Amino acid sequence: MPEVMKLEDIRKNFGSIQALRGVDLTVNGGEVLALLGDNGAGKSTLIKTISGIYPIDGGQITVAGKPVRINSPREAMDLGIETIHQDTSLAPDLSIARNLFLGREPVTIPALGVFAPLDLKRLKAEASKLLRRVGISKNLDADAPVNSLSGGERQSIAISRAMQFSASLIILDEPTNNLGVEETNGVLRFIREVRDAGHSVIYITHNIHHVMNVADRAVVMRHGRIVADLMIRDTDLLSLEAIIMGADAATLAAGLKHGKQH
Amino acid sequence: MGSGSFSSVLKKPETTSFIILVLVMVGFTLANDRFLSPLNISNLLAFMPELGIIALGMTLLLTAGEFDLSVGAVFALTPVSTLLMVQNGGLSLELALVIAFAATFLVGALNGFLVTKVGISSFLVTLSMLLIVRGTTLVLTQGFPLNSWDGDNWLRTALAGSFYIGTVRIYASLIWFAALGLLALYVLNVAKVGNWITAIGSNRSAAVARGVPADKVKIWLFIATSMLAGLAGVISSLRIASASPVAGSQYELEVIAMVVVGGTALTGGRGTIIGTIIGVLMLRIIRNGIVLVGVPGLAFNIFVGVIILAMLVLHARFNKSSERK
Ligand SMILES: Nc1ncnc2c1ncn2[C@@H]1O[C@H](COP(=O)(O)OP(=O)(O)O)[C@@H](O)[C@H]1O
Ligand SMILES: [Mg+2]
Repeated sequence: MPEVMKLEDIRKNFGSIQALRGVDLTVNGGEVLALLGDNGAGKSTLIKTISGIYPIDGGQITVAGKPVRINSPREAMDLGIETIHQDTSLAPDLSIARNLFLGREPVTIPALGVFAPLDLKRLKAEASKLLRRVGISKNLDADAPVNSLSGGERQSIAISRAMQFSASLIILDEPTNNLGVEETNGVLRFIREVRDAGHSVIYITHNIHHVMNVADRAVVMRHGRIVADLMIRDTDLLSLEAIIMGADAATLAAGLKHGKQH
Repeated sequence: MGSGSFSSVLKKPETTSFIILVLVMVGFTLANDRFLSPLNISNLLAFMPELGIIALGMTLLLTAGEFDLSVGAVFALTPVSTLLMVQNGGLSLELALVIAFAATFLVGALNGFLVTKVGISSFLVTLSMLLIVRGTTLVLTQGFPLNSWDGDNWLRTALAGSFYIGTVRIYASLIWFAALGLLALYVLNVAKVGNWITAIGSNRSAAVARGVPADKVKIWLFIATSMLAGLAGVISSLRIASASPVAGSQYELEVIAMVVVGGTALTGGRGTIIGTIIGVLMLRIIRNGIVLVGVPGLAFNIFVGVIILAMLVLHARFNKSSERK
C-alpha cells in the first residue's frame, strides 16, 4: 500500500515545553495505526499539528507524496485528513444533519457566499443516507439535535462525518473515553469498517485490548518522541504490554543510575 | 409521527413564550378594554421596532456566545453625531449619516477585535465601550439635548414616516423591523453562516476544527449589532426630530431581557429570531399594559422582573426535559 502521509522531524514547543521533539512517522494506505503512550507523551499535540490546529515549529509533512504546510483545519480537510478530537467535535445544539456538514454545507446559490441558503433537502437526504450506511439510522432522526444523543451515538456521528468526505486519513483521539461497553464495541466496529472502505486510521487509545483487536500497527510515543513502532501480527498482547512497560523500566533504570551518581 | 412533531413544537422555547404572550394579552384585554383600542395599538407599534431592531442583532450575537452592553450608548452616539454634523457642520443629512455609521462600524469592529483577538470577555469589553461611547456623546453635546431639527428629507419619510391602516397609525420603522426580522431569520436558520453562528456558540472548538472562521464571524456580528443599534437610534431621533445624549440608557438590559425571554440562551448555541420578536412584543406589551391596568409606576419594575424570571424558569425546565447529558 502506498504511503498516505510522511512526517519527518516534526517539532512543536509550547513556550519552554517541548511537546514534540522530532517525530518521524509514515502512515500507510488502508492501515489502522494505534498511537500509544502515557498522558503528556504528545499524542494529541501530534495529531493537532497534522489537522491544522497548531502550526509546527520544525520538520516536514508530506501528504500523498507532496510536501505540504497545514495552516488551518480547512487545509487539513482539503488534503483528506479528518480528525475526531479528544475534547469533543460536535456542536450539541445543532442537528445531526447540520453537524455532519458543518463547515462544508451544501448550498443552493453558492454566489451568495456565506449568506447562501443551505440546501436543506440535500442536507437531510445525504445525512439520512450516511446514517443508514453506517448502520445507525434505526431510531435516529437526522433533524434531532446532537444533545439528545448518547455519548456512543455522538461518537458514531463524528466518525461517520469523517468517513463521508472520503478522507484518506481519519484520526481518532481517544474516541472510546466515557463510553459504555456496547458503545465502545460500536466504535471499534466502525474503525474496522472505515479501514475496509480503504481509509487509513490513526487511533489513539490507552486500551491495549482495543489495539490488539483493531490495529494493524502500534506506535508508542514518550516525551515527544516515537520510541517503538511494530506490526501487531508480529506481537501479542503480553509482548506489546512489555514493550510499553519496558520503556518505563528503561527510564526507571536511567533514573536510578542518575540518582547513584549523586 | 404527528404527535411526535406536535410535542417537538411544544418543546420549542418560542412556543412557551408565545403561549405566555397570548395569556398576557388576554389578561390585559380583560382588565382594560382600551388595551386593544386603535390608539393603544398604534402606541405599542410605534416604540417596538426601535428596541426590536437592536434585539435582532443581539440575538445573533448571543447565539454565537457573546453579547454587547454598548448598544444603548451607540443608540445615542449615532444620531447625536449625525445631527451635530448637520446642525453645526452644515453637512447634508446623507453625508452626516455615512460618517456617523462609519464611526458606529468602528465601535462594533473594536468590540469584536478586543473580544476575539485580545481575548477579553465581551462583558468587560462592551461595558468599557458603553462608558466610552456614552461619555463621548455627553462631551460632544455638553450634556444637553440638541435643538430640534425640522429639515425635511426623504430619509426621514423612509425611516420615521407614518401612515394609517384604518384608524391604526403605522410607522415606517415597523416595516424596517419586519424586513430586518425576516433577514435575521433567514441568516440564522437558512444561510450557511447561520449554521456557523450556532455552531460557534454551541462548541467553538468543534466549529473551528471544521474550518469555521469563528473570530471573523464574531467580529462581523459585533459590527452588525452596533450598526443596528445606530440605525434604531437614528430612526428614533428622526421620529422625534431631535437627539439626546442620554437616549437609550439601559436599553442594553431591556434588549437582552427581550432576547432571553424569547428563548435565546445567554450561554450561546440556542438562538431564536421568532422568540426574540415574541420577547420584544412581550416586554413592550407588559410595559404598556401595566400602565393601563393602573399598577403604580414605582412598582412597575417589580412586575417586569418577576415576569422575566418566570419565563426563564420555564425555559430552563423545558430545556432540561429535552436534553441528555
Ligand atoms: N496548548 C498547550 N499549551 C501548553 N502546553 C501544552 C498544550 N497542549 C499540550 N501541552 C503540553 O504538551 C505535552 C503533550 O501533551 P498532549 O499532546 O496533550 O499529550 P497526550 O495527548 O499524549 O496526553 C504535555 O506536557 C502538555 O502539558
Ligand atoms: Mg491527549
